[in-house]
Amino acid sequence: MKVVVTCSIFPNKIVVNGKQLLSIPSNEADWKKWVYSSLNIEYPKFHKMDSLAKLAFLGISVLEQEIDFSTYKDEEVGLIFANKSSSYSSDNKHFINYTQKKMVSPSDFVYTLPNILTGEIAIFKKWYGENVFFIHKQFDIEFFIEQVEFLFNKGIKACLCGWIESNDKSEQASLFLIENVDGVLLKEEILKELIINKID
Amino acid sequence: MDTNLKNVYLSYGALVTPLGNTVEENFAALQEGKSGIKKYTNSGFTNENWPLAKIEQISENRFDTLLRASFIELNQKVPRTIINSSNTLVIISTTKANIDVFPNDTFESGIEILKNELGVVNEPIIVSNACISGVVAINLAADYIRSEKFKDVIVIGIDVISDFVVYGFQSLYAISEQAAKPFDKERTGITLGEGVAIVLLSSEKRNSEFSVKYLNGSSSNDANHISGPSRTGEGLVRSIQKTLVRSHINKDQIDFISAHGTGTIYNDEMESIAFDRLTLNSKPINSLKGYFGHTLGAAGVIETIVCLLSMEHNLIFKSLGYSSIGTSKILNLITDTSQTQVNIVLKTASGFGGGNASLILIKD
Repeated sequence: MKVVVTCSIFPNKIVVNGKQLLSIPSNEADWKKWVYSSLNIEYPKFHKMDSLAKLAFLGISVLEQEIDFSTYKDEEVGLIFANKSSSYSSDNKHFINYTQKKMVSPSDFVYTLPNILTGEIAIFKKWYGENVFFIHKQFDIEFFIEQVEFLFNKGIKACLCGWIESNDKSEQASLFLIENVDGVLLKEEILKELIINKID
Repeated sequence: MDTNLKNVYLSYGALVTPLGNTVEENFAALQEGKSGIKKYTNSGFTNENWPLAKIEQISENRFDTLLRASFIELNQKVPRTIINSSNTLVIISTTKANIDVFPNDTFESGIEILKNELGVVNEPIIVSNACISGVVAINLAADYIRSEKFKDVIVIGIDVISDFVVYGFQSLYAISEQAAKPFDKERTGITLGEGVAIVLLSSEKRNSEFSVKYLNGSSSNDANHISGPSRTGEGLVRSIQKTLVRSHINKDQIDFISAHGTGTIYNDEMESIAFDRLTLNSKPINSLKGYFGHTLGAAGVIETIVCLLSMEHNLIFKSLGYSSIGTSKILNLITDTSQTQVNIVLKTASGFGGGNASLILIKD
């Protein structure tokens, strides 16, 4: 098992492999859109996504600038994602729609499932691999490694893991790609880079 | 030894649905061809009278009450020595959990009840993968047993009917005005349901009279659309293919398919295309959504329990609500509940986020 690349996106910065890639201006009204523009990518679907899916999309877009995903076949990458507050941001939108605005919106409702973000990644990359979404109290590296082992036992070549959170208090996308090859897995390094590296 | 082939046994845990409070009560209702679906006045966002498969005894605190209701049967079917063992893991499969308490944490109460009232030792794991959650959770349970991390895994599939979900599906124009008619010519959409289902997966036989083994399973994404089913059934085809290979089963050996069959035009069409591509058209197949409605995160577990019933009694249940084929590809839908040898079952699920999952069970 080998960590190929890690990346974390916070409202103020992007960190790749432990090094700060980008500092995000604090006066940006829509910081995710700012990051999207600064990455020079063209993917109009981004603008329709909810914040959770946008974070995941930005995460994989940053990773794409670091590594070449085309070396994997369309079934070879497993998606293992988790967070604490599920699809809170979109749930809240839909909740406010029907309780206060007295309306319902299909485009808000479809995002009220956290695994929509893995669907967005699969659509973006045309990946047909395994995918799973967990609700967890906190980021737990051991838990992710366990899930990666299960998929590697079934012959999956690589796993894209991610902790993507979007709620009232915080927004974060932390992703790491693990390959099914020999190597020393430095769990502490992943932890340090992805989680402790929070907003200063 | 191939760790993916270590024995994993399934047994009944509990089943609480509008059709009954135990596996046996649900079995009796299925044999009688009863539906748990009724129309409810003002259940819609603008006061429509949607049909729902609702558990009428529950009047408030739906999620917690429903979860607790499953413990009665669970305690009869699964010994305390397993439930309260440090070698046992609990996996919860749910989409919206206790959504009625939103914006408070919707997942907390279930975990607390399991720890404090049922006395489970290990921190439960929650799978929230839309409508495929139940099948994904059972596949994961088998992974845990084959890895020898746990001897038993209790999988709990649970979701309740809420304004949140009913109004949401209404906004998608996905709710049927009549009880759902999966795969039928007249189908117009889903009927939402609620329930809790529990299966036990174990490294050893936990039931001496009747025994079913889990062979293998998989998931696969459509990579097509977040809420619209694939037009080619690609994800479902790939998931079934992977599951067959991992199970070392030839598709001809399958006796019966428990499909997802929500009752929407596009989902059922997608499934028919996938089964056709795999030349599984002639296999007896049903959807149980006409009995239980679509119970979202509970569906895969409820339907797996019904697969166990089919295997135990060699009885395949008619696809309630179906009378004539309404998909472009012909399937062999079960129109009469009937006796037949059921040794190997394929269970499938598909859902939002482009998810597809499947698993294969074999009579021991």
